[in-house]
Amino acid sequence: MSIISCENIEKYYPEGFSGRKKKILTDLSFTVRQGDVFGIVGPNGAGKSTTLKIILDFVRPDKGKASISGHPARSHTSHRHLGFLPENPSLYRHLTVTDHLLFAARTAGMPRGEAMRRADEILCTVDLSHAAHIPISRFSKGMTQRGALAYALFLKPEVLILDEPMSGLDPLGRQLVIDIIRESHQKGTTILFCSHILTDVERICTQIAIMDKGWLAAFTTPQELQQRKDVAKPEMSPLESFFLEVIAG
Amino acid sequence: MNALKTIWAIGLISFQEGLRRRIIYGVVLASLLFMSFAVLISGLFMRDIVKIMLDLSLSAVSVSGLLVPFIVGITLLSGDMEQRTIYTILAQPVSRAHYILGKYLGFAMLTSLIMGILTGATIVTVWGSSHLYAEHFFTSLSFSAIFLSSLMSLLAVLVLNSAMILWCCVTTSSFLATLLTLATYLIGQTVEDIIRFISLHIAGAEVSGLVQKTVQVALYLFPNLAAFDFKQQAAYGLPIPLHEVILLGIYGAAYITVMLLLAIVIFNKRDLA
Ligand SMILES: Nc1ncnc2c1ncn2[C@@H]1O[C@H](COP(=O)(O)OP(=O)(O)OP(=O)(O)O)[C@@H](O)[C@H]1O
Ligand SMILES: [Mg+2]
Repeated sequence: MSIISCENIEKYYPEGFSGRKKKILTDLSFTVRQGDVFGIVGPNGAGKSTTLKIILDFVRPDKGKASISGHPARSHTSHRHLGFLPENPSLYRHLTVTDHLLFAARTAGMPRGEAMRRADEILCTVDLSHAAHIPISRFSKGMTQRGALAYALFLKPEVLILDEPMSGLDPLGRQLVIDIIRESHQKGTTILFCSHILTDVERICTQIAIMDKGWLAAFTTPQELQQRKDVAKPEMSPLESFFLEVIAG
Repeated sequence: MNALKTIWAIGLISFQEGLRRRIIYGVVLASLLFMSFAVLISGLFMRDIVKIMLDLSLSAVSVSGLLVPFIVGITLLSGDMEQRTIYTILAQPVSRAHYILGKYLGFAMLTSLIMGILTGATIVTVWGSSHLYAEHFFTSLSFSAIFLSSLMSLLAVLVLNSAMILWCCVTTSSFLATLLTLATYLIGQTVEDIIRFISLHIAGAEVSGLVQKTVQVALYLFPNLAAFDFKQQAAYGLPIPLHEVILLGIYGAAYITVMLLLAIVIFNKRDLA
């Protein structure tokens, strides 16, 4: 069953002061099936974040449509049972991470006692128990990233959308994110994420899309990559060599 | 029902975020200091003691309320867009209309709290002074007039808050939003005077029909904030007619509704990239 779908999406952004429009996404179509871990990789500026923002309805496409769990992206019901981690996440500086979690609980109608229990649990998972009551302004970048991850996972979402979830994290943090994605996958969560770290993508994804200049240039799976192992350059991982092949054209 | 809960949740988190800004306490503290100063000064004008005390204190209440949209409202709203904190809110099943209404609710709670505390302080100081100074100076004192005057000041700030939200949705620049909100305030304060001036037809200052029409249209576009000012009545202990309060309540509510609806329509079209 398809959980996330994009159909023929096209997006233009105004460029500079002239307001001339620049094409950012071209005829983008893909679906993420239930239980998939779908990774989008691509060079800087390829349009990965823009694609995620369109699926989340933060940005409106000029053509085409997106949907989550059968709900059109435009309807806010598509965000039920959804967790999102933005690129360089930003939380309210004067509030604590617990304040944020309680906000999420209120929007979901979760009783306060249960919310506090769940908050303890998820903060423990992302290793932030010690910082539960510290304002975000005193957080390091990695702590903010972990806090935002806790926020995304708090309501045990069925769909997870993560934009560069490993960025700003130390090796322990990176491993933590990988473990969380794996664990969520085992529980049946559908995950869509983008990343620059090809080795990580290769390790955890069931589907991989390579994006370049607003196009989805290629799709592959870890199994396919394994079969290409002999063609790949020895100093590179199969995904790295495939990636360079696709991008270099 | 669910929508109300969502709006409440957004209102609460905005209220909390606003309340943890130190500047809010600075404003309240400065107002309280100013009020103590007003008590001291007014002691010098025995006959007019109540008038001066109330004039100064109620002005402090209304100025503190007016500062909220400028120092907290705009920074919180444009900060949400610039730092992308808005994604945190909109990642939940929250529509953009919920977001606008929730933010408005949060600012309204913040303004009500600040103005409520300061009105309470005004009432306490006036009441305390009435025991301190000769009683016959306080015969004109009317607590209900003080309360109603503050309530109307609050309504004026709530109206300005709604205009501020609209401007923040129209422009991405917080500087421009501040400027537009300030313009709304200034025009809202004076538009009534201009209308009066025009209708007087003072010799040598003839105003053409076109200008008259333009100003009349402006009166409808901008909130008539001066109409909410009952500080003089409160200071002199004059009765504030209830029907006027009710009419202003309806006017304010209608104005706020239109501003927020416009804000939602415009915000709905925007890319939050
Ligand atoms: N708000 C915006 N206004 C105008 N252009 C934008 C805006 N946001 C992104 N772009 C442009 O859209 C293109 C795609 O950006 P996007 O952020 O989607 O890339 P990305 O693949 O996520 O890159 P990265 O790997 O660096 O995160 C870039 O060329 C960028 O300059
Ligand atoms: Mg990106």
